[in-house]
Amino acid sequence: MNLEYRVAHVAERLAAGQCGELGVRAEIRGGAVLLTGTVPSAGCRDDILRVAHDELPDVPVHCDLVVAENAPPDHPEELP
Amino acid sequence: MTRVAAVGDIHLGPDSRGTLRPAFDTLPDCADVLLLAGDLTRHGTPEEARVVAGEIADLGVPVVAVLGNHDHHDDHPDEITAILRDAGAHVLEGEATVVTHGGLRIGVAGTKGFGGGFVGRCAGEFGEPVMREFVRYSRHRADGLRTALEELRGRECDVRIALTHFAPVPDTLAGEPLEIYPFLGSYLLAEAIDTAGADLAVHGHAHAGTEHGMTGGGVRVRNVAQPVIERAFHVYSLNPRDPGEGSGATGTRSPEDTVRQ
Repeated sequence: MNLEYRVAHVAERLAAGQCGELGVRAEIRGGAVLLTGTVPSAGCRDDILRVAHDELPDVPVHCDLVVAENAPPDHPEELP
Repeated sequence: MTRVAAVGDIHLGPDSRGTLRPAFDTLPDCADVLLLAGDLTRHGTPEEARVVAGEIADLGVPVVAVLGNHDHHDDHPDEITAILRDAGAHVLEGEATVVTHGGLRIGVAGTKGFGGGFVGRCAGEFGEPVMREFVRYSRHRADGLRTALEELRGRECDVRIALTHFAPVPDTLAGEPLEIYPFLGSYLLAEAIDTAGADLAVHGHAHAGTEHGMTGGGVRVRNVAQPVIERAFHVYSLNPRDPGEGSGATGTRSPEDTVRQ
């Protein structure tokens, strides 16, 4: 099957999966697929990678997913 | 100064318990209110909502929230709302509330909002029933926001804030693919904000967007989706409204500390 459609199916599975993930971008880069975005936990990142490898076992998957930062801010923005 | 803390799109699940609480426990030192801009859960299940409730209960500052599209996915928005209210949050949909903290009166009008797009690149209420319903639903959310903001005019607020999940302007979507803008927000929300007046508009939903924007009428807009602000929350420090201004300082001060419409 065309890689474009297979990547679309990855996105569909991510939305329907454990993390209900709509914020991850899956893009074809050369012969590989790149995953980018911010996810709520390391567990979600693992789950997303597992789905991608499961759907695309013969395609290299590059992962640049970031786990959300939960630190408080160090200063406010002043809105005069 | 009124210090408004805000975050959206925290997407909590069973593995998130306790992850935001340490940061939220600092709120009494740095903010007068916490706004939650929707997508508090992943699938909108009661189990996930109870995790959110544990993060926001008894924070020492008022908490005001709207739901997001994820919070509707399990078809239990009323139960999600009830769980968050039991934890002390004011959950708004086409409603306004005035919360007080340190002698400040902070008015918040909220709706989830919906999509449809922005002027010149938007859906119209035309054609198939499902298409007309899509636009009509978005219009009703925006009408609820306008009515709620107008109600705040008479309640002598120090600041008035519009809280939504979907975006009112395209400015704060910069970074998202242009093709999906109509699914990320609607100009109807900005029109409501500019018609009724507000000091700040806060939204989430667009994870790849940009923090800063402004409506055509000059109201500052902030996208506080957690992936955008890259923190547990951000704080905006606003000057109290000039009593001479017409869009919020007139009217009778309510004796209640907190009033929900």
